[in-house]
Amino acid sequence: MTSSPALMIEARGVEKWYPNGFHALRGVDLCVHQGEVVVIMGPSGSGKSTFLRTFNAMEDFQKGSIVVDGIEISDDLRRIDAIRREVGMVFQQFNLFPHLTVLDNLTLAPVKVRKRPKAEVERQALELLERVGIAEQAHKFPGQLSGGQQQRVAIARSLCMEPRIMLFDEPTSALDPEMVQEVLAVMQELARDGMTMVVVSHEVRFARKVASRVVLMADGEVVEVAPPQQFFTNPRHERSKQFLSQIS
Amino acid sequence: MATTPPLVVRASPLRRLQKELFGSRLDGLISIALLAALLAAGLGFFRWALFQAQWAVLSANSTLFAVGRYPVEQQWRLWLLTTLLALATGFSWGLLRAFPGSGAVRALWPRNDRWAAAILAVLALWRPMALQLTLAIQVRWWGIAGLLLLARWAAGRYGPAIPQACRRLIPLLWPLLYLVGMVLISGGLGLVQVPPSEWGGLLLTVLMATFAILLCFPLGVLLALGRRSELPLLRWGSVIYIEFIRGAPLITLLFLGQNILGFLLPGGLAPDRVWRAAWVLTFFAAAYVAEAVRSGLVAVPAGQLEAARSLGLPVPLALVHVVLPQALRVALPATVGQFITLLQDTTLLSLIGLLDLLGTARTVMANPMFLGKNAEVYLVLAILFWSCCAALGLGSRALETRLNPHSPSAPQA
Repeated sequence: MTSSPALMIEARGVEKWYPNGFHALRGVDLCVHQGEVVVIMGPSGSGKSTFLRTFNAMEDFQKGSIVVDGIEISDDLRRIDAIRREVGMVFQQFNLFPHLTVLDNLTLAPVKVRKRPKAEVERQALELLERVGIAEQAHKFPGQLSGGQQQRVAIARSLCMEPRIMLFDEPTSALDPEMVQEVLAVMQELARDGMTMVVVSHEVRFARKVASRVVLMADGEVVEVAPPQQFFTNPRHERSKQFLSQIS
Repeated sequence: MATTPPLVVRASPLRRLQKELFGSRLDGLISIALLAALLAAGLGFFRWALFQAQWAVLSANSTLFAVGRYPVEQQWRLWLLTTLLALATGFSWGLLRAFPGSGAVRALWPRNDRWAAAILAVLALWRPMALQLTLAIQVRWWGIAGLLLLARWAAGRYGPAIPQACRRLIPLLWPLLYLVGMVLISGGLGLVQVPPSEWGGLLLTVLMATFAILLCFPLGVLLALGRRSELPLLRWGSVIYIEFIRGAPLITLLFLGQNILGFLLPGGLAPDRVWRAAWVLTFFAAAYVAEAVRSGLVAVPAGQLEAARSLGLPVPLALVHVVLPQALRVALPATVGQFITLLQDTTLLSLIGLLDLLGTARTVMANPMFLGKNAEVYLVLAILFWSCCAALGLGSRALETRLNPHSPSAPQA
């Protein structure tokens, strides 16, 4: 590990206006290197989810540039599909496909998009389900699982596409408190295995333990970027101190 | 207050009925009056049906009601088609039981199926006799019913033995059969042509209804997707089409189709009158199906498409594999309701001079030999239409149960 790790996400001066004129992102910069875990925090309405969703072109933006894994995001649909194949995303509301079994949820995209043989994908899917601790639920439907199990399936579903980057959009916000840990544990293990991750979350303990850097956003701008130790114990900016006092 | 029964104990049905109908004196009086009225009406109906009604009007015209003026020497083609349909029905029915939806219990003859088979057998035995058909024709009906049940049994018993590769082709059986049926009915490929003007009765009604149902469904789905598209041209095209069609009564469109289509299309290209009516029915129903499907699309959370797109699925694949299966399940009851309306709308064909069931009925009733037999004819017509619609409704409910992902085995909680 002599050379510095590759740049996975490079966002420069990203600005976004919603159709109603709201200025959601006001020139945001962020670089994420391979193997890094970046946790984005901030009050609601600060634009953190919007920012995260620009990384796989789920949200468009009007100014600035974003390069993901060497591909610059543009209006070109084929390019967007190429980026989405490499970038997994986990949603607050899980968004599992309720009409498919857990196993079919995992195998759908690899079989239909990557055109891999079904049997091989199924083997890999079962391994992934084993890894997130729910192999025995493979043939159930999402509606029969608890929230924590559903979110772990959602993570496994993204991993089944073998992404190089994982985005998490408040993955534990819709969960009952006792289920938060099981999801965070899976994410922590993923981070330990070297996955590049960008996480929008309010979980301070997770950020302290796992994050390489913490980003604080407020009012569509990045206020502070710092290693977790420094951010949580000795934040430089007034806005960060204010935010930390509100969530603790 | 020594013995208050626990709430969970349910009274016997008879007890509950007694309580509901004769709870108080006034309730009792109302119930007795209504039951007396029902009884009188029922008695009156049966007296009419058994002693007054003259069913000769039906037995004498049974062929006319069934196929219209289809040439007698070509009717063997319709018998062949009926036989093939019976075989395919039995075969599919058996396979459905051999491969129940995931999670459902596999049973060769569930109780409902035994009832259906029994009713079928009784109908096959009794109906041809009641219509006083010739013995030769009676025997044919028995044979066809027997074949259906035989295919049902064989497919249920030996269906699982069919190799996987062949099994995937089985759903293609029905579209294939439809094409074969079309050839058998209309001729071509070495068979004598029978022009559509000679089709009639139940044959024409069923043909029009199935043609329109089969084609209006994909058309409706495309229109619904178009209406929600982000491309302005597509969206506005769909909106204008749907709203225009929904704003005009079917009968005007049917007359328009009969009169104008001939001018619009270059000579010879304009389809026959029957087919013109079929296309008008199709385009008409598609607008309504589109709205039903759109209601289903609205019911699918936006996160579903997002999740599919985030996995790298291009929009068409995401629609086919993620959004539409969920949307169509929601839209199924409304869509089937539309199909049922469509089936009944085929009676309007009689107003533009086509001899569908109702049209045939009118010509029969206009025959001096059968004057004044309207009640008999209309009753049978009503029963026929009711059976077809009930079959559609039953099929849709069975499909709903099969598609319900959360409780695959439970019929409905």
